[in-house]
Amino acid sequence: MTSLFDLPFEEPGFTDVWVEGELSNSRVWNTGHLYFTLKDAGAQIRGVMFRSALRALRFTPQDGLRVVARGRVSVYDPKGEYQIVCEQMEPEGLGALQLAFDQLKRRLAAEGLFDERRKRPLPALPRKIGIVTSLDGAAVRDIIKVLRRRYPNAHLVIRPARVQGDGAALDIARALGAIGKVPGVDVVIVGRGGGSIEDLWAFNEEVVARAIAGCPVPTIAAVGHETDVTIADFVADVRAPTPSAAAEIVVSRKDDFCARLDRLAHRVSATMQARLHRLDSRLRTLEARPGLAGMRARLAMRGRHAAELTHALHRGIRAGVAGRERVFRGLRLALETFDLRRRLGRVRARLLAADGRLAGASARLRHRADGRLRSAAARLEALSPLAVLGRGYAVCWNRDRTAVIRDAAAVARGDRVRVTLARGELECEVKNSGQ
Amino acid sequence: MDATIKDFEAAIAELESIVKKLEEGDLPLETSLQLYERGVQLSRFCHSRLEEAERRIEILNERGELKPAPAALGEDDKQVP
Repeated sequence: MTSLFDLPFEEPGFTDVWVEGELSNSRVWNTGHLYFTLKDAGAQIRGVMFRSALRALRFTPQDGLRVVARGRVSVYDPKGEYQIVCEQMEPEGLGALQLAFDQLKRRLAAEGLFDERRKRPLPALPRKIGIVTSLDGAAVRDIIKVLRRRYPNAHLVIRPARVQGDGAALDIARALGAIGKVPGVDVVIVGRGGGSIEDLWAFNEEVVARAIAGCPVPTIAAVGHETDVTIADFVADVRAPTPSAAAEIVVSRKDDFCARLDRLAHRVSATMQARLHRLDSRLRTLEARPGLAGMRARLAMRGRHAAELTHALHRGIRAGVAGRERVFRGLRLALETFDLRRRLGRVRARLLAADGRLAGASARLRHRADGRLRSAAARLEALSPLAVLGRGYAVCWNRDRTAVIRDAAAVARGDRVRVTLARGELECEVKNSGQ
Repeated sequence: MDATIKDFEAAIAELESIVKKLEEGDLPLETSLQLYERGVQLSRFCHSRLEEAERRIEILNERGELKPAPAALGEDDKQVP
């Protein structure tokens, strides 16, 4: 370096020189120009990089960085010192892009933008899936292809954005801002298909990272191939290796929840079935007890009043039997009003009428759901506690209806009790507790 | 839709707690009946949410308007150049 400055600076050879050294005293002034000193073991030279040239630089020049600067040598008049007016600067070793990547990654990590606790869970069943990518790229088609196969009735909202070239980063950032505001969009996939590091560069820019972090709904970054890692991947709530994988992730969330729903419905059924079974067998045992059987006979011997009561009881039973058919029909109707099969049938008819092709595409999913619903509905029907009452059983409660009376000894003469029938309820007074 | 159910996740979470309560047993008949009815309601909600979405692809343009996507976008036979 020193030998260079032994030469007179007017020499025409100094209009385009390359100087290699370590950056120190680097500082961007409020004029937007960068001032620095380049030094090596034996010498140093001051340098300036004007705002226009600095803007084209992808990495941030920092003290301690070894760089190669290209420019012309001039004299800084006030001090009469040589300086280099730098047009271009390259970091030594790694490329400028890699350095820029590392610098931004460190800075955002320090800010906490990549923290695990910032990551939001994806919705189980997205209402609308937002997509930010280019309409001309492979990514959007890959996503649609996966969803068509595994989630036929998905609703997509695509906000097209340029994903490479000048202005792409800003475009992506604006698209993210816009799609996060669409009502119903509750997850956003942002990405593009594979390409060179330059092609993918927009996803390494700060403006995109900030837009992802600021997106009001959870985001999935899906940039390039498995091996491509971008800043966007670190900021997003979920990183998908490819756009297709992003779609698969959305679908698998849904499938997981459906499986959970199935298991729960099954457990509700099993539990209620077991409970009703126990109730049923207890009733049978009670009926068989001689105390209960003999009670009617004892009542009959207690004169007119008892006879009337017995008569009323019989009449009640007869009416119950006669009314059973009617009650049962009523119950069936009540059940059918929340019978999912009918509802599903209406939905299917509407869909078929609307678009035959569409119905074909979603047939598989519906077929599965249909089978599930059918068995769930059948189980529910079998399970309803009302069905037991419909068979003529009644439930006897205490006066306040806070406890079921299971033992005649629990009440005394004169107590008031309530009796729930399949239809309606009776308020009764105990004449004899059977003791 | 039922105002007491927030969303799909909430419905499943509530259904889970209902199942747990029912399985623990020893509930008064009336209570378990109420829980069962609520369970039916939640399960209905989830299934209707699964069914209600219709396949649709929309484009959000620069002016913030939603337009149906060109048909070619969703077709498998169209090859990407």
